[in-house]
Amino acid sequence: MRKRLTLPALLAAMVLVAAVLTAGSQAMTDRGKGPAGPAQSAATTVTLNGWQSSPAEEDLLAKVVKAFEKSHPKIKVNYSSFNNYQATMLAKFSARKPPDVFYVDVADFADWVRQGVLEPLDKYAAKSKFSSKPFYKNLLNAFKYKGKIYGYPKDWSSLGMEVNTKLLGSNPIPTTWAQLRSVASKLNVPNGKPICLSADWARLMAFVYQAGGNGQFKNANSAPFRTAVNYYVGLIKDGLAALPDKTGSSWCGEAFGKERAAIAFEGNWMFPTMKDFPDVSFKTAPMPKGKTRGNLAFTVSYSMAKDSKHKAAAWELLKYLTGPVGMKKWISLGLALPSRSDVKPVAGRGAFVKYPGFTHGWGNQVQFRHIWNDVANNELTAVIDGKESVNAMLQKIQSAARGG
Amino acid sequence: MAVAVAKQRKVRALGSERVREALVGYAFIALPMAFFLLFFIFPIGYALYISRYDWGIFKGESVGWDNYRTLFHDSVFWHHAVRNTLVYTAVVVPLQMAIGLSLAVVVNQSIRFRTFFRAAFYFPSLAASAAIATIAIYILASDGLLNTILGHLGYHHDNAWFTQQSTALPSIMGLNAWTTSGTMMLFYLASLQAIPTDVYEAAAIDGAGPWRTFWKVTFPLLKPGHFFVAVVSIIGALQMFDQSFIIGGASGGPNYSTLTVVLYLYNQAIGNIHFGYAAAVGLVLFAFIFTVTLIQRLLFGKAEVA
Amino acid sequence: MASEELPPVPPVAAAQEFAATGEAAAGTAPSVIPGRERADRIRTLIAYTVMFTIAALFAVPFLWSISTSLRPTAETVAGFSLLPHDWTTIGYHDMFHKYNFTRYTINSAIIAGAVTVSNVFLASLGGYAFARLRFPGREVLFMLVLGTLMIPDQLRLVPVYQMLVNILPKYTHTDLINQKGVILIQLVSATSLFLMRQYFLTIPRDLEEAAKLDGAGYFKTYRRVMLPLAGPALAAVAILMFQGTWNGLFWPAVLLQDRSQYTIPIALTFFRNIYQTQWPILMAASVLAIVPILVLFVAFQRYFVAGVASAGVKG
Repeated sequence: MRKRLTLPALLAAMVLVAAVLTAGSQAMTDRGKGPAGPAQSAATTVTLNGWQSSPAEEDLLAKVVKAFEKSHPKIKVNYSSFNNYQATMLAKFSARKPPDVFYVDVADFADWVRQGVLEPLDKYAAKSKFSSKPFYKNLLNAFKYKGKIYGYPKDWSSLGMEVNTKLLGSNPIPTTWAQLRSVASKLNVPNGKPICLSADWARLMAFVYQAGGNGQFKNANSAPFRTAVNYYVGLIKDGLAALPDKTGSSWCGEAFGKERAAIAFEGNWMFPTMKDFPDVSFKTAPMPKGKTRGNLAFTVSYSMAKDSKHKAAAWELLKYLTGPVGMKKWISLGLALPSRSDVKPVAGRGAFVKYPGFTHGWGNQVQFRHIWNDVANNELTAVIDGKESVNAMLQKIQSAARGG
Repeated sequence: MAVAVAKQRKVRALGSERVREALVGYAFIALPMAFFLLFFIFPIGYALYISRYDWGIFKGESVGWDNYRTLFHDSVFWHHAVRNTLVYTAVVVPLQMAIGLSLAVVVNQSIRFRTFFRAAFYFPSLAASAAIATIAIYILASDGLLNTILGHLGYHHDNAWFTQQSTALPSIMGLNAWTTSGTMMLFYLASLQAIPTDVYEAAAIDGAGPWRTFWKVTFPLLKPGHFFVAVVSIIGALQMFDQSFIIGGASGGPNYSTLTVVLYLYNQAIGNIHFGYAAAVGLVLFAFIFTVTLIQRLLFGKAEVA
Repeated sequence: MASEELPPVPPVAAAQEFAATGEAAAGTAPSVIPGRERADRIRTLIAYTVMFTIAALFAVPFLWSISTSLRPTAETVAGFSLLPHDWTTIGYHDMFHKYNFTRYTINSAIIAGAVTVSNVFLASLGGYAFARLRFPGREVLFMLVLGTLMIPDQLRLVPVYQMLVNILPKYTHTDLINQKGVILIQLVSATSLFLMRQYFLTIPRDLEEAAKLDGAGYFKTYRRVMLPLAGPALAAVAILMFQGTWNGLFWPAVLLQDRSQYTIPIALTFFRNIYQTQWPILMAASVLAIVPILVLFVAFQRYFVAGVASAGVKG
């Protein structure tokens, strides 16, 4: 048995570990940052955090940030993105070491602002004469609390109806609920169902607005909600629609791309997705009309941390990113829509922005993420599976939203 | 003369020898205990502290034991999170242990291609859970490999295994049993090495065949190994989070079927920003696991002292 | 490590010895019984077939991963096929050129290596103390150690973050939200300590008694007697800790802010989001990520061979 693990060997290894702990990573971090020079001492470093999205998006944001640094030589920006965004941000907030500028999803906004981690921006905007006028009102209002602005929307997306022209054939593109039903019943989709619907309130809620409802979970036990849910789930129960997992897909965009659905209700993010399915010919149309029109606006803001140590510099970055110059660069990929009226969206997005008056913000309710994710979506899957009645679900959601 | 020396030694042994042994013992465990203090004891103390407040991101007002009272009546917690976690543990732990032990016994023999088999059986434990989850979702999709094979065998299953309420948790159980059996195999392999060869010799001389040798000799001698594998398995299973998070999509769906206690904790902390309440959940879980382990130790405690 | 002939395992050794010196050698060999040899061979064949089938079951998803890593992206959204139609190494190419995979591998290696070494050292010392040394409060402290396994990472997130961001830097003046922090919070694991303790418990006391009679102190006994015998357990700890750290996502994702410090599991998350999974590159990265652990496993698993040679040491 020659496997003698000698003490000297172990000690040497421990010394190595200690060396790594004290010295190693320093070199790594230095290599990662930009070149250090005399300008470093005068410059302020601002930290920018967002969540991880596609590499294309992240490269683009890095480019926008570089352009900002060029026009603001006294400010350096440290941009990093990560997954599990909410968890990491909450840890940073609680340690009082947050980034200076960061994304806030509208679904988190109501809770984060009430926790006191966001800085009100009105006085900065007034000082630099940064006008709120160009921003679309309902987007800006999504980030207001007690009359003050706590973030400026960086972009937005909404839902539309995608239709596969080949599978549609000679049928017209549906414009109302009734037409959606009748057209779907005439379609034949091999290996799938005519419509793909998600078991997600982030789609279903649009139908609630179309039924004349006001989209607040605390009013879930009401007629418009009931009508919308019955219509939505009814399509599935009658075999006109299917959930994406029934067609081997993780979301309706994939099912639509695989041509296992002829109609889907997804947002303007479909365009980059459909590039992966170049053989599919499709058209986009506005969401169908129920009693009235209704659509959802998904938006994200750039906000400043209350505990930020470089508020003035952070404001400069925020102003740039949500200003006309920065935003124009950002939406050039066509992944999202500009939240300012003085920046034109990429072509072809007409169907998604057709009825701005009927597009309602998604979120901005207290405990929103919890009710949406933990309660409402679970209950919805139970209803679709036939394990629960619609009324029971709506009652549960309403009492959860009312603090039950 | 020898007697006097022996007597002297005994006297010394009773007094300072014990003290020396104790001091050496403490010295050996000093670094690990300091580490545990900073990164485990402090957090549990922190959790206990904040669980007595209405703690969002920052300190709120004191609520005494109210968080625990609310938790006691929390039907989602008991009917879904706790139930799923207990069912999961009851199935996965025996499965992992049995498979791990079987594999270990097989690859402990001097068989051909032994290194290959050891590597093959350990393979699922090697890969990152994110990659495995992605592969599993693909294979268990409604038109994936598993359903295709089942279709050829005459059993038509049209649904995706992970997104159907009745099969979601069982699928995760199967997946985890598959990925952690390799690690259990490793533990059992190490334990098998500690069994001295003369025991097998004695059994062979007594004319015992391989099965009897295994059940009457090997299995009982593996008691410290069993204890280790059982404790580690149960503790791990009761804290299952990753697969529910990645595969079940963080909501614990469909219809709460993949909601576990730790996922519930996570959602209360991060989604609902009720850190105090989440801490209460964590402490209840901790107390439960601690009790279970303590019972295990008391039941199998005697077997440990070799 | 020289490739010398490793001793056969206990059951086989016993059987061999028995065959050589026992009654079988005396002439009443079982193989004389007609048909016995053939039955043995068939049994062996069946055994190996079963084992290969199980090995295949365990390995097939990885073979499929390798196959997917050699396809172009367009093919991955098409139907299922076992082998690629268009063989390409673009997945691997993009991984190194577009995504800096070398850097991530080095980072993963640094963290996993440091944590493994630290664990082997601290867990064996601590495990020996808990198994063989007597000190007041030993059982309570051991339950405490086990207790650390019962605290989910998700519950520890905020306090550990506070410890690394606010509390420790106050006394040590070092920034810990980086690679150092990731290593620091994994210096020793209760599982390793527990494993070593259990293993040391099974080693017969007579060896230590012999050392003590020779006048060896505690540390010498540990070094000269226990450690060399602990080969299999140390190997298990090494494999376990390396693999766990190499594949660990939670703490690196929370603590590593600088892209140049990212590890492989973080890189894997780049290739999958709600809208799209870039299969070829994800599979290529997964396949390459397995290689180091596999090499380590094959290298260390040879320790799972020698049992405690008890010849000559009878109580």
